[in-house]
Amino acid sequence: MKNEKPSPEATPALSQSEAGEEWKSSEMKTSRRSFLVRLGIGATLAAIAGQIYAFIRSLVPNVLYEEPRRFKVGPPDQFSEGVQFLEDKRVFIFRQGNTFYAISAICTHLGCTVKLQRLNRPKMVKIGNRQFQESVEFHCPCHGSKYYGDGTNYAGPAPRPLAYYKLEIAPDDGQLIVDMSQEVGHDFRLTV
Amino acid sequence: MATKRSTWEKLTWTWRPASSREAGDSIVRNFLLHWFPAKVTHRSLSWSYSFWLGTISAVLFLILTITGVILMFLYVPSVERAYLSVKDLEYTVSYGWFLRGLHRIAAHLMVAVVFLHMVRVFLTGAYKNGTAVHQNRPLNWIVGVILLLATLLLSFTGYLLPWDQLAYWAITVGTNIASAAPIVGEKIRFLLLGGTTIEQNALIRFYVLHCFFLPTLVLVLFSYHMWRIRKDGGLACVDHLALTQRLEKRPPAKSKTYSLLGIASGATVHVETALVDEDEHTVQASPHLTRRLAAVMLGTFAVSALLTILFRAPLEEPANPSETPNPAKAPWYFLWLQELVADTTIHIGGWTLNGALVGGILIPAVLLIWLAAWPYLDKTPLQTVGVWWPRERRRQNVVFLIIVLAVVTLTIIGTFMRGPFWDFYWPWESWPELPRRF
Repeated sequence: MKNEKPSPEATPALSQSEAGEEWKSSEMKTSRRSFLVRLGIGATLAAIAGQIYAFIRSLVPNVLYEEPRRFKVGPPDQFSEGVQFLEDKRVFIFRQGNTFYAISAICTHLGCTVKLQRLNRPKMVKIGNRQFQESVEFHCPCHGSKYYGDGTNYAGPAPRPLAYYKLEIAPDDGQLIVDMSQEVGHDFRLTV
Repeated sequence: MATKRSTWEKLTWTWRPASSREAGDSIVRNFLLHWFPAKVTHRSLSWSYSFWLGTISAVLFLILTITGVILMFLYVPSVERAYLSVKDLEYTVSYGWFLRGLHRIAAHLMVAVVFLHMVRVFLTGAYKNGTAVHQNRPLNWIVGVILLLATLLLSFTGYLLPWDQLAYWAITVGTNIASAAPIVGEKIRFLLLGGTTIEQNALIRFYVLHCFFLPTLVLVLFSYHMWRIRKDGGLACVDHLALTQRLEKRPPAKSKTYSLLGIASGATVHVETALVDEDEHTVQASPHLTRRLAAVMLGTFAVSALLTILFRAPLEEPANPSETPNPAKAPWYFLWLQELVADTTIHIGGWTLNGALVGGILIPAVLLIWLAAWPYLDKTPLQTVGVWWPRERRRQNVVFLIIVLAVVTLTIIGTFMRGPFWDFYWPWESWPELPRRF
């Protein structure tokens, strides 16, 4: 303690005016008090910010206990020719002979489940230079979007065609697997 | 005995003050009335100037708080129990249907009344500052706009809680509109739902927002809203009174002054100031204001209770994510948005602008920004403050009314004229029979 505080006798060379200069210049930089005040305020703000971050971060779930996006739907020969709606998965499975494909039932506008409309007689549809015959269409009950049988939107507010999901065959028991986490092109077909 | 008496006196007041001193005392010394002025102008009290819409919305908020707290004892915010507890409320709990119905009706009324309150404030130019110092009515207008938003959000979050088909699909449509916002949309939806689908996480989040977060926000903003009105000198019609009085150029009144300006009697220095506190313009707040307040509270409660008995709250089938009802509709106050969302998908050449972005986000955002900024853009003269249909504000009032009418018309179309697949039907047309399931 003694060493830190020099007594006037220990520094006889330092005149009154010089001591004043030194005091002024140190005040112009930062005094110990204002430094500690700023440190205290800064630490408090940092602590509050850290707390707020922790509170908000805790509300972003790390684990979701939702239904898996990839699931088995049964052996392929269980599906009949044409279309079948898996209600609780919100997906249509199409079968044409031994080829399969899956179309999402989630409307691309605002996420309602589209309804399958069976047409009384098959209809010829021309999209660009592509032409095909359809026997079903998809209509959305929420805002009136309409899709052709291949999922292409043609009326209402829907901005995009319905999604196609990847289909696989399970290597262990040969069941059909729908992978809703992987969207595929509209020409995707699984041949069994 | 003495303290007990004074505590009692702090909570009660006389309805028949014998003197103006007693009348003033009942405001100043009373805990419940201390936020009211001692004197109120006739115009502020009149039914035809303000229609008391702000007061009615505050009373509805009170009804909602009381019924809501009781409902919290009877409702379980879990996916397994929510629907069953609401069903119990409706059919098993004594007067449960009345509690739930009153809460629902008061919520619907509050949305409507807060909206009408905003319309009234706009049409009377009550967001404009008068001449009194330290006024900030534009800020109070913005607080009001936030309160309207909070009211809508409160109603929207409450909509999910019954966990029936109506609730589930209205929230599906509503939260998907949020995800149409560029860049942050998906993240907002994820945080709001606590996941990617409407499940337990979403239910508990909406519950906490509905029961704690948003009511607290409304309470804080409402307190500030009221405090600002007092700071701004009461309703805007008082500003108008002060302005027109000054235009009258009253002759200098002879009175004594005790200021340094003059010891002798003569003309006071205050002759040019408005004298809205004079007896010909004002009455004592107690009992005139308190009496009307009691009448408004009673009337609001009576109308809400009557509507509750006339219109039972609906409860549809339990929420079923795989079956969208046809048509699926948002709550009525969002049907103008749903109508916009259905009509505003724009195709330009190869690319498409989703209607959810245009009608669900861009148009409401522009309307909100315009609402918030308007007090700062309105340059009409001071004399238009606090009057109905002033000539100088005719053009903006007409534009505002057209927007209001458009919103109301779209709401009516969405509510009564949209059938299966959102097709248009006149109210007298019957909807086609559709198979309910595939």
